[in-house]
Amino acid sequence: MKSFLITVFSGMFLLISGQSLAGDIEAGKKKAAEVCAACHGLDGNSPNPAFPKLAGQYETYLEKTLIAYKTGERENAIMGSMAAALSKEDIENLSVYFSSQSGLATKK
Amino acid sequence: MMKLATMKMLLCSSLLVISVAAQAEGDAAKGKKNTVMCVGCHGIDGYRTAFPKVYNVPKIGGQHPAYLVQALQAYKTGARSHPSMWGIAQHLSKQDMEDLAAYYAGK
Repeated sequence: MKSFLITVFSGMFLLISGQSLAGDIEAGKKKAAEVCAACHGLDGNSPNPAFPKLAGQYETYLEKTLIAYKTGERENAIMGSMAAALSKEDIENLSVYFSSQSGLATKK
Repeated sequence: MMKLATMKMLLCSSLLVISVAAQAEGDAAKGKKNTVMCVGCHGIDGYRTAFPKVYNVPKIGGQHPAYLVQALQAYKTGARSHPSMWGIAQHLSKQDMEDLAAYYAGK
C-alpha cells in the first residue's frame, strides 16, 4: 500500500513538473527578438498587415503551425526556412511566449 | 525624358497602391451576417479540434484583415490545406472574404 502511494504521488509530481517544463516564456521572448520580431513585432502584434498577429494566439495552435512549417506540411517560402532552424524546444518556448502576450481575441 | 518616365511610373504605382487598398475594404456589418459558418469553431473560447490532431482553433478577432483574406483565399484554392476550411471557403466570394475580414479585424 505504501509503495503504491509513493508510485502514485511521484507519478503526479512528474506530471505537474512535466507540464511546467513545456515552455519557457523568457527563452521564447529572447528567441522571438532574434527571429520573429522583424515581421511579427516583438510582442507578436505585427505592424505589417501582410503578416499575421501572433500575440494572444493559442499556444497549441502556434506550436502546431510551426511544426507544420518545419515539416513542410504547410508551405511558405519565408516561414519554411525560419521554422527549419527552430528546435522542438524553441517552438515550445516561442509558442508559450506569444500566447502569453495580449492581442488576438475570440470574437463571437 | 527619363524624369518624365520615372514620374509616370511613380504615379502609376501609387494609383495601384491606392486601388489595392480601396479593394481591401470590406463591410463589417455585412460580414457579421455571414459569420454563421465561423462561430461554431472560432466563436467559442478555448474550442479545440478533435481530429486528426488536437489543438485550439485559432483566434481571429483583431487579426489583420488583409491576412484573413489571404488565408481564406489560400484555403479556397487548396494552397493551404484544411478540409473544413476548404469546404467553407468554396462558398465565399472575394467580397464575402473582405466583409468577414473587416468584421473579425474590428474590436
